[in-house]
Amino acid sequence: MTDQPHETHERWILGTELIWAFGVGVLVAATISVIVFTALTLNINPPSNVERVDPKTLHLSGEFSEQNLGTLVAADGTVTARIIATQFTFVPHCIALPRGRPVTLRLASPDVIHGILITGTNVNTMVVPGYVAQVHTEFTQSGELLMPCHEYCGLGHSEMWAGVQVLSAAEFKPDGDGRVSCAQR
Amino acid sequence: MRSVDRLCLAHLWLAFGAFAGAAVLGVWQMWVRSPLGAHTGTPGDYYMSVTAHGVTMAYVLSTFFIMGFGYFVAVTALNRPLPGQGWAWTAFVAGIIGVVMALVSIALGKASVLYTFYPPLTATAWFYIGLILVVAASWVWCVLMFVSMTAWKRENPGVPVPLAMFATVANALLWLWTTAGLTVELLYQVVPAAMGFVQTVDVGLSRTLFSWTLHAIVYFWLIPAYIAFYTMLPRAAGGRLYSDTMGRLTFIFFLIYSLPVGLHHLLMDPEHGNGTKFIQVLLTAFVAAPTVLTIFTIPASLEIAGRLRGGRGVFGWIAALPWDRPMVLASGLSFVMLAFGGLGGLINMAYGMNAMVHNTSWVTAHFHLIYGGTAVIMYFAIAYEIWPRLTGRQHESFSPLRWQLWLWFVGMMVMTLPWHWLGLQGQWRRVANFNYDSPIIAGWGPLVIVSLGGGLLLLASALLFVRNLAVLHRSVLPAPSGSLYALAVVPPRHVPAALNGFGLWNVLVLTSMLLAYGYPIAQFVIAPSPTAIVHRIE
Amino acid sequence: MTELPQPDVPDRPWRIWASVAVVAIILSGALLGVIIIPVVQGRSAGIDAFTAICRALGILPGSPAIPQIVSRNPPTPVSQVVWTPAVLQVLADAKVDRGRAKVQEVCVACHGEQGVSISTDYPNLAGQSGTAIYKQLNDYRTGSRTNQFMTSVAQALDETTIADVAAYYAGQPMRNPNPATLGAPDAIVQLVELGDPSRNIPPCAACHRHGAGGPIDAPVLSEQRQEYLTAQLKMFASGQRRNDVYGRMRTIAAKLTDSEIDGLAAYYRAGLR
Repeated sequence: MTDQPHETHERWILGTELIWAFGVGVLVAATISVIVFTALTLNINPPSNVERVDPKTLHLSGEFSEQNLGTLVAADGTVTARIIATQFTFVPHCIALPRGRPVTLRLASPDVIHGILITGTNVNTMVVPGYVAQVHTEFTQSGELLMPCHEYCGLGHSEMWAGVQVLSAAEFKPDGDGRVSCAQR
Repeated sequence: MRSVDRLCLAHLWLAFGAFAGAAVLGVWQMWVRSPLGAHTGTPGDYYMSVTAHGVTMAYVLSTFFIMGFGYFVAVTALNRPLPGQGWAWTAFVAGIIGVVMALVSIALGKASVLYTFYPPLTATAWFYIGLILVVAASWVWCVLMFVSMTAWKRENPGVPVPLAMFATVANALLWLWTTAGLTVELLYQVVPAAMGFVQTVDVGLSRTLFSWTLHAIVYFWLIPAYIAFYTMLPRAAGGRLYSDTMGRLTFIFFLIYSLPVGLHHLLMDPEHGNGTKFIQVLLTAFVAAPTVLTIFTIPASLEIAGRLRGGRGVFGWIAALPWDRPMVLASGLSFVMLAFGGLGGLINMAYGMNAMVHNTSWVTAHFHLIYGGTAVIMYFAIAYEIWPRLTGRQHESFSPLRWQLWLWFVGMMVMTLPWHWLGLQGQWRRVANFNYDSPIIAGWGPLVIVSLGGGLLLLASALLFVRNLAVLHRSVLPAPSGSLYALAVVPPRHVPAALNGFGLWNVLVLTSMLLAYGYPIAQFVIAPSPTAIVHRIE
Repeated sequence: MTELPQPDVPDRPWRIWASVAVVAIILSGALLGVIIIPVVQGRSAGIDAFTAICRALGILPGSPAIPQIVSRNPPTPVSQVVWTPAVLQVLADAKVDRGRAKVQEVCVACHGEQGVSISTDYPNLAGQSGTAIYKQLNDYRTGSRTNQFMTSVAQALDETTIADVAAYYAGQPMRNPNPATLGAPDAIVQLVELGDPSRNIPPCAACHRHGAGGPIDAPVLSEQRQEYLTAQLKMFASGQRRNDVYGRMRTIAAKLTDSEIDGLAAYYRAGLR
């Protein structure tokens, strides 16, 4: 008998908590729904690319040898920029990319963990030795952007960044081999 | 003084003493990064300082505070002596040795690898062994917490474990589970490399193993604040805890959902697929649940207190609360910082938005706000609350305590809010020297200086905090008596075994870790990453 | 009075529902993240479902939403040296005595027996990093670095001998023929310790100081011949010397002024570290 108000009170309290918990569930569901929706309609994905490459022989390899770095327009028109992140510089130091076209950035490190972001954009990836980091993106505005190394990579980390020149169609002119370098300004 | 008081005070003074030193380093770092201090301080000095600051704040302040507070809860909430005090003291000594080893390695310039110590950058083995000793000491604490609770349950069959102890043991179990990742990384990969037994490291595996620890560790730091919210705050406010059941569920949710989500720290890494990352994001959305549940339960508890004190109207109870009491004031300030930090967390967990902020100052701002703000301000409040019980003396005035808490809150907001904004602009992390000649970076200068101002306020608060505790040791007022822990509105008479113990939850943690981390780790066994050569810092 | 355990608070429902909830959440995450999202994304890009799922799991490289680029290029290496555990083992197994014998036979004429060279144009080798010597000799051997004398010398050596010579010179104590003249100009000290952020120049000490955590083949510069250092920096700047992997030194040297090059060479000659 004396248990009755005890139980009722407890049940009432838990009832209010349940109502609130329902709201929490809605919040969680809404957050996940937005992520799923953008994944399905806009192809928003994190920069995953499980592509293994040996950092120790990177400089010997075809794709990431020095002569093959930088922006290249392939015969089918796809634009790919290959960039090395190493203690304590990016190669090439300035990367020319077109505005309004899909581009692919492929980065590798022969030594330690680096990472990049491009200011004013959502281009962001870690560069982990052992893997090729790959980012698909499209630049919507021309300009000069910064691409710093954003993960601690040693005592020279603070001086490590590259420039990104986003060029209009008129300025983005590949040479005979399909390569594009930064415009001299 | 009871012997457990000495044990608690030893842990807490180590934590807070180290904290004060690290606060000084933090201000120096902010100075050197700002336009005011540009070109002073070599990168060698800077990264040494960042390593010391990070290791102290993340591993020393937190771990030793939580251990000291845990011993206190085990004795006062359960009303029984602490079992295995010899073990506890031995663990403390081992912990101090570990701290000294780590800090001396750093000071000698042989461990500038930051508190995240990502291989292949490798410090001297002494640094890692020091950290392992600290972790081992904390494991002894975990076992003693569990033994304490189990012994009490045997003596009190069928009685619900007091919530403060239930939550402490949940935290201890969470710590045991989460340190597994870091320990395996250190013992299997990093220490052999540091000692020269191996010359290369599988970097993908090391990042994954460290990520295992990376998320739940921040809940390990945060849960003591929640213990204070649920058990100490309602009593300090003069009321009751709205629902004991929800309290238990909150801590169980933390245990279950904070562990398998570590991979969300690798959302921008190449070495894991989209599918794995999506699962992580889904689970991370659920770890927001206990916090949002708390946002209901604790204000409800405070509303009871406010109305008991005569508050009327929809919001009148808020003003009626005893804000002059440090525990109440700190909790209010903590909730404000939790709102900002929590929203920041929701942004971090969605990989689309995470791409805007990863490894920028946003991240630095986020964890200073949520850990340094929400959690650590409650460490202060807890210290102010339990110190009188440990020393037998009462604070002579609460005014310096309130000043210290306000300074911390204002300093933290002033320091971190500009940092959030700078992160969105692209300001990146772990930089010793910014190039203020570049127009983009020059534009950031004023906000960096504002942040530095916040940091100075924090340093003042840190020093005032230590002063407030030191002064208490000489106070003439006797300590108050009575329980520190609140009753629930409906004190539970029986709770299901699932809410009184952890057998079921341990099984579920194991299951979810296997499902969430099983394949991501197995991937490195099936197809190991091409290894990277070790870069030694010594 | 002994208390019996309370049987009336049911536990089984907890166990069942909690397990269902946890497993259901993870499995629904897997269903969405590993199957539904990648397959739908792949459809718009013409990627078949199996490939899309493999990419989402990380079994195949690339994104489920975008066709993967295929690269084909012939290698054009700069330096053939690869730092594998095997190579480091060769260095660790090197015999100093064998190295001394070879040094006395070949190297001593220019580099001296203790590694102090006979001419300011030839580098001191005393106390030089073993990995640095190993790399340079191998680069001379393969033609990645050229020098009118060193190319033929190196081509007559095999890998084990190179390691022995490297170990021998690495074990020689550094000796300063001219006492240190502290008092280097501030601008030079700043370049060495702080670098120059406005020109992307990291501090020299970030790589060239022992234990800095930089590239393992970074040579020790301290107590090096001034004319040799100046010549090397100028050759890096012009691109004439190209065996620095990925142009780490070419990028930096090209940004230094002539007076900075002279100043740095003087700084390091003087035995300052």
